[in-house]
Amino acid sequence: MDKKTNPTRQSLWSKMMNPKYIMVYATVGIFLLMYLFGTIAFGSKGFNTLRTMTTLFVDNAYLGISAVGMTFVLITGGIDLSVAAVASLTGMFIAYGTTEMGLSPWVCIAFSLFVGVGLGLLMGWVIHYLNVPPFITTLTGMFLARGVCSLISAKSITIQNSAIDELAGWKIYFMHLQDGKWVKIKPIAYINFSIILFIVVLLVGMYLLQRTRFGRNVYAIGGNEQSAKLMGLPVGRTKVLVYGLNGLCSVLSGIAYTLYVKSGWNLSLQGGELDVITCAVIGGTLLTGGVGYMVGTFFGVMLKSIIPALITFQGDLLSWWGKIATGLLLLLFICIQKIVVNSSNKQSDKRSQKKLSGQKE
Amino acid sequence: MSEQNLLEMHQIEIQFPGVKALDKVDFFMRAGEIHSLLGENGAGKSTLIKCLTGVHHKDAGTILLDGKEIQPQSPQHAIEIGISTVYQEVNLCPNLTVAENIFVGRQPMRFGQIDWRTINRRARELMARFRLDIDVTRPLSYYSTAIQQMVAIARAVDVQAKILILDEPTSSLDENEVQLLFDVMRDLKAEGMGIIFITHFLDQVFAISDRLTILRNGHLIGTYNIEDISKVELVTQMVGKDMDAIFNLKRANVKPDAPYMLKADHIGAPAKIDDISLDVKKGELVGFAGLLGSGRTETAEMLFGVTHLSDGTLELEAKSVKFKKPYDALVHGMAFCPEDRKRDGIISDLSIRENIALAVQARRGFLHPLSMKEQNDLADKYIKELGIATPDAEKKIGELSGGNQQKVILARWMATDPKVLILDEPTRGIDIGAKAEIQRLMLEMCEDGVSVIFISSELDEIIRCSNRIIVMRDRQKVAELYGEMCTQEKILAIIAEGAAAAGGEAQ
Amino acid sequence: MKKKFDLSRLTRSKVTWAVVAEVLVLLVCLFVRPDFFNISYQPATGMLFGNIIDIINRSSEITIIAMGMTLVIALGGTDLSVGALVAVSGAIALKFMRWDVIIYNTPGDYSVYPFFLAIVVPLVVCAVMGLFNGFLIAKGGMQPIIATLILMVCGRGIAQITTNGKQFTTQYSPFRVIGQGSFLFLPMPIIITAVVILAVYLFVRKTAFGTFVESVGINRKASHLSGINAQMVIFIVFALTGLLSGISGLIYSSRIMSNDSNNAGLNFEMDAILAVVIGGTSMTGGKFSLLGTVIGSIIIRTIVTLVYFFGIASEATMAFKALIIAVVIVLQSEPVSNYIAKRTRARAAKVALAKGGVK
Repeated sequence: MDKKTNPTRQSLWSKMMNPKYIMVYATVGIFLLMYLFGTIAFGSKGFNTLRTMTTLFVDNAYLGISAVGMTFVLITGGIDLSVAAVASLTGMFIAYGTTEMGLSPWVCIAFSLFVGVGLGLLMGWVIHYLNVPPFITTLTGMFLARGVCSLISAKSITIQNSAIDELAGWKIYFMHLQDGKWVKIKPIAYINFSIILFIVVLLVGMYLLQRTRFGRNVYAIGGNEQSAKLMGLPVGRTKVLVYGLNGLCSVLSGIAYTLYVKSGWNLSLQGGELDVITCAVIGGTLLTGGVGYMVGTFFGVMLKSIIPALITFQGDLLSWWGKIATGLLLLLFICIQKIVVNSSNKQSDKRSQKKLSGQKE
Repeated sequence: MSEQNLLEMHQIEIQFPGVKALDKVDFFMRAGEIHSLLGENGAGKSTLIKCLTGVHHKDAGTILLDGKEIQPQSPQHAIEIGISTVYQEVNLCPNLTVAENIFVGRQPMRFGQIDWRTINRRARELMARFRLDIDVTRPLSYYSTAIQQMVAIARAVDVQAKILILDEPTSSLDENEVQLLFDVMRDLKAEGMGIIFITHFLDQVFAISDRLTILRNGHLIGTYNIEDISKVELVTQMVGKDMDAIFNLKRANVKPDAPYMLKADHIGAPAKIDDISLDVKKGELVGFAGLLGSGRTETAEMLFGVTHLSDGTLELEAKSVKFKKPYDALVHGMAFCPEDRKRDGIISDLSIRENIALAVQARRGFLHPLSMKEQNDLADKYIKELGIATPDAEKKIGELSGGNQQKVILARWMATDPKVLILDEPTRGIDIGAKAEIQRLMLEMCEDGVSVIFISSELDEIIRCSNRIIVMRDRQKVAELYGEMCTQEKILAIIAEGAAAAGGEAQ
Repeated sequence: MKKKFDLSRLTRSKVTWAVVAEVLVLLVCLFVRPDFFNISYQPATGMLFGNIIDIINRSSEITIIAMGMTLVIALGGTDLSVGALVAVSGAIALKFMRWDVIIYNTPGDYSVYPFFLAIVVPLVVCAVMGLFNGFLIAKGGMQPIIATLILMVCGRGIAQITTNGKQFTTQYSPFRVIGQGSFLFLPMPIIITAVVILAVYLFVRKTAFGTFVESVGINRKASHLSGINAQMVIFIVFALTGLLSGISGLIYSSRIMSNDSNNAGLNFEMDAILAVVIGGTSMTGGKFSLLGTVIGSIIIRTIVTLVYFFGIASEATMAFKALIIAVVIVLQSEPVSNYIAKRTRARAAKVALAKGGVK
């Protein structure tokens, strides 16, 4: 045996150069490029201020929360089309419950959680134990949630509830010292409840995915479900839980969205599930399952939301260019993924060939 | 008696729709024993194993482990009670790292978190035990099948099982790796583990086992000490027929002045094969010997247009041809049975009829469909000619046994009336009866003037059938042997040492 | 013996469950409205009129798309872009009829460019967009769901740009015929759908194309090695689906005599996929059933009609659609159908045993 190549602890550099992270780097890189472009092109209009940054968060926290749950589902190799409908349903529960029925918002939220998580678990159960494709199961879930939304009210309900107003209006302003006093920075930038919720959900998601057996089982199932079963992993339980977890994220996303728009509408967030999936995909998650990182998803959300921001700053372009830009971005990312996967496969071919012949000698 | 046995399976019965997969089978194993389980495909080996690992549930009978009755419910449950399995196809997750594949589901925890450091360290130690020096933090897909197989074994070994089941673990390993595996098996045996070993390679059975059990058609034939049975007896027991009668074959008779059918002149493709030349005469059977990965399959794929040629020329019947895709080769009268029948050969959900007609139809193009009658005639003809065991032509090919699937694939190509037929491991993983039949068919086709290129890992069948043998090693053609030169010892020497060591007869 | 065999085959066939579901829903309809099956002739429009006609008429758009979707799903893929293509098709058609210039600023019974351009160009564009999907999948080796997600996301943007974000209306009578005209006493969409179904059926089942699609859907590598040009099969299927989406888009915009880039074809991809799956074609690819798909599409529309009878808001129909679809899908699911098959077998065996006892 060759002593020189005896594995010692790897350097940080070689750890970071692991090919499995390339997609995440691509996402971060493109986001930074876009940000740089915005700074150069619209710096004079204040693109590079803290305010623009926090606005990205404020406007897209609900998207991010949902994307965290979706990342879990996509890594198992599944898909969940019901997320936007469940978020919309949550908004409807809160709006109708507080405004029309005079309930406490906490009761409404608790009920939403019960329904959202319950639906998620049910869908997970159907997917795993009845072997119905996730696409179809969650599509049915989406129809159900949307339909119930419309059953509750076909009109938009504006929320009139002091607790909700208070929560939605709660902000921490960014301050700086001026003449010995703390004052708000200009232009004003702040963090609200939704941002904190997003960050917390993201961190919890990260922890679950990387540091717990549950998270690793999620990866294993996405890698090869049959193998995972034969390795003795609790495949069924994990899958059901993943959909339940995603249901939870959908409800939290719905809460963030409701705080953002302060109303409930049966048609809100139409097509939102695809925005969420897009975020995850441009964050480097593979729809085939088995690959994906929370950091990637985070930057995917940022990347997805910086496009409309750039278009707003540009001013002349019509908003539907945003859709086309997102589509092109998606195309770009899928191409990069393809190239990365192909080249790493080739490398592995060569390398294992070397390894084997090296061993014979 | 029962104190001595680690595992006792009494009167196991398993019923599948339409067949009795296991009929009152007994299986006893002692601790610290390597016990081979033998039988042809469909004999019930995998069913017995799956019954033990909780994939299938038995309909009758009892299983005792250490004298206590067990009822394995699921693979997970089986692992918990101490039964660990390595399957024929690597059952790991390609996206996880090597280290994680070994520990997933039972990761060491620290402060409520997965302890990645310990995992990687222990994985490195474990791989070192297998004399493998690899970066355990790379994804499993980064490594070759052989290494993946070793990782699978490492995982199975590390769970501290009482019983280790190895289901054809050696089919993707080369000679050195097999020896390595045997060393590890002996270590484990010394530690008192019971190992159930399933393989098609009889040499390996005799090299490593203490005892063996033979199954046939779901029945127990017997359990023998390895000293008490000869190879011939063993095969006779497995097949239930006399071996000589099966393998009474004659090589094809090639006239010395027969024209060349296919000539490849210094062909090569990047990252596959640099340079190889070969020719095949009309009605000749050329065997390709060499280890897995020695370039045999790559050569076949170059000939059939699966891989693009970057160098060299290909001549078919003295006319220069260029194949961009398999379709071009098909149109020119080439045929190719790929190595991995399941992955590259069968269209599992289509019927036998559709599978047989596929290549003919592909050559005609979809706008010129074969009529139902033509398809049925084709199917009926080949079902009869090749003796495909099926109630009718509408049965899905996926529901057939391996040997019958192979016959259907063969029929698909015979139906195109090929001039050159390339067979890549047509007899792998199928039972001896079907093997002999496929060899007979190959030789019959040679008699009819078809040129056959026959790739196989089993030297005796190559030697038995070939007019000429090309030996491959490290992606190069190292020798070409004729008639008397084709002996097992000589080929093995060339494969092991290269052409020079074997004494210069090579071209 | 023969009969028993047929029975177990029937219970295992997924199309059977679709038919059973449709019959059940129709029975409920009949229960709610005894005059449900009545069909009358309306001289004013020159058409037959009745619930059944209406259901089939209204299911046209989905049925047409679902024909292509069946092949896509048989290939083991999904095409998410069809809804967006419906919007594109309508936008281009209206663009050619109205062409945004000052003198044509009011809608009327005219078309700026020849009518055939307003029909052919949208279809060609949609087919080309379908080809683009096919290109990404066949040549780029992408997953269909992802490749078509691209056009789904930016397709509506393209539709908007075509008409500069405007919603045109028209009163051009030849265009009205597509969605609102009649032929042989039947609404034109039904005729168009029937022609499409027949054409697709002839194309896939009277040539070997259907077998090729199934073969590639089950095992692309093996099909390629057997000489099938898998890339071409993929190209044709996706281009065909694009073209069919275009036809569907023309019908849709002819019904409203307008283009609506935001709402035209919204969720059509979902409905089409559901129709295919309810019709018994497995999402994993392989064997497909065009007949099943037609039934699936009609089931979806029947449910919507049924829910209208109860006077429920149109958006809320989704909930009921979901419930009934859930039932069909659960019945079709492998474990449940295996269980039912087992029960039928057991009962048959019992009956046989009882008979034997009598003898």
